[in-house]
Amino acid sequence: MKRQLRLIWILFKMKLSHMMVFRLNFFGAFFVDGTMFAVQIITFSAIYNNVESIGGWSRGEMTVFIGTFSLINALNMLIYFFGVVDLPQKIINGDLDHYLTKPMNPLLRLTFEKIDLGSLPLVFLSIGIILYGVALMEASVTPLMAAAYIFLVLLMTVLWYDVELIIRIIPFYISSAQRIDRIEDLLSLNFKVPGVLYKGVFKVLFYFIIPYGIMSTIPTQMLAGTLSFKGFAYGVGVVVFFTVLALKLWKIGLKSYKSASS
Amino acid sequence: MKKYFEVAKVLFKSQLAFRFDIAFNMLFTVTKILFAYIVWGAVFGENEYVAGFTLNSMLTYYVVSSFLSGLDISEGVSWEISSRIRNGTFSKYLVIPVWPEGYFHAQNYGAAAMYMIFNLFAAVVWVFLFRFSFTVTTDLCLLTQAALMVVLGLVFMVQFSFFLGILTFKFGDISAFLMVKGNLVAFATGTMVPLTLLPAGVVSVMRFLPFYYVTYLPSMLIIGRNKEETGLGLLTLGLWAFVFFAINNIAFNRLRKKYDGVGI
Repeated sequence: MKRQLRLIWILFKMKLSHMMVFRLNFFGAFFVDGTMFAVQIITFSAIYNNVESIGGWSRGEMTVFIGTFSLINALNMLIYFFGVVDLPQKIINGDLDHYLTKPMNPLLRLTFEKIDLGSLPLVFLSIGIILYGVALMEASVTPLMAAAYIFLVLLMTVLWYDVELIIRIIPFYISSAQRIDRIEDLLSLNFKVPGVLYKGVFKVLFYFIIPYGIMSTIPTQMLAGTLSFKGFAYGVGVVVFFTVLALKLWKIGLKSYKSASS
Repeated sequence: MKKYFEVAKVLFKSQLAFRFDIAFNMLFTVTKILFAYIVWGAVFGENEYVAGFTLNSMLTYYVVSSFLSGLDISEGVSWEISSRIRNGTFSKYLVIPVWPEGYFHAQNYGAAAMYMIFNLFAAVVWVFLFRFSFTVTTDLCLLTQAALMVVLGLVFMVQFSFFLGILTFKFGDISAFLMVKGNLVAFATGTMVPLTLLPAGVVSVMRFLPFYYVTYLPSMLIIGRNKEETGLGLLTLGLWAFVFFAINNIAFNRLRKKYDGVGI
């Protein structure tokens, strides 16, 4: 464990020195995602100017939802997104060889080799949005609820990682799936929609099969005091299931990897 | 003019080689409408009217605006110019006997024509699949004005994208800037939410910008609303197109001198 942490620290220092070379792009991710969430807030704000609630959620709950979505996304960008984003290309053109031949867990290296400090301001911005949403909700948030909320946000960050990884290891099995990651753009659209709005077949799809629907919704419900124990346990169960699934698929995928000729 | 028509024709045909992109664009259009359906279904479950819209007219707005925004693939112009300048292959446009901006216009319209066919198909399938009453105007004059505005809007968007693309001559890497612009334009063109839901003061300011007339106003005209803004819309958009025609010529002639043809 100590050795792995030391390797992550070395990767972090290498990435930081690389980022310093391209200073103009240092805060690129912050500006890109910052505007995306600003637009998201304005969009829902425009709707709330005309209605009292959406699917039973007030403006406060929706603001917490957007802040939570933004926070999970910020953690994703900060920690692992830039590491796993081009995994399909690495599998297809054989660059994964460089990871497999090094005396280090290849997935660990892929995950942490491109920590992006430029996304850190987005974390603070998201916390600001969440605090504003909590103030709007006028709900009493106990320290236990806050702790459970933080736990759920971290858990959902892992879930997003699992889904990102599962999508990106498909080229192990289908070598023509070069642009498979574009599917994620499509699927993650439903991340922007509160899970409480899904009914019938959509609920089954986005709560059980492609679990983007729960990622921001369950932590938001925790902070709003509307999450049942069953809902909490369900969230934990989904993350455990998808983490095991992602790691299994990664291991099986590696066996199908045919190096540069994949 | 013939050579630009040929370029458009080639691009129209070559899109069939990029079936994944077309299918993805179509699926993206359908998914956007689907999520609008989920959100607005919940909103209209509690309200009969929102800003003068019923659930049917709101969904019609999203189907029309998603279809129109699917036609605007001009973002690719910025990315292509930027990448060609960065890897040194922009020289192609400097040595062949064409007006570079015109070439990109032709490329864009050729590809957009193919996207139009598939997006139209997606919109029709969507309307039948979800069985809602599609409420568009039958006023031919209004539909013609809306079509004219859509064409002018597409021309403007290519001009705007060309301008952003050639900024690579000066700044080297504009990728983050293009992504930020993508987020802002998606909102300003009204594809995320009808602009009429915004406060009146904000809408008044947006009327001075060209983006208001690219997707939002044509969509409103097609569903039979905002007729009184047609004249002003065509004039404003025409003026912006004229201004960008001049800006692009000046900027291109100045910035191209920074290009050394070997990449960055």
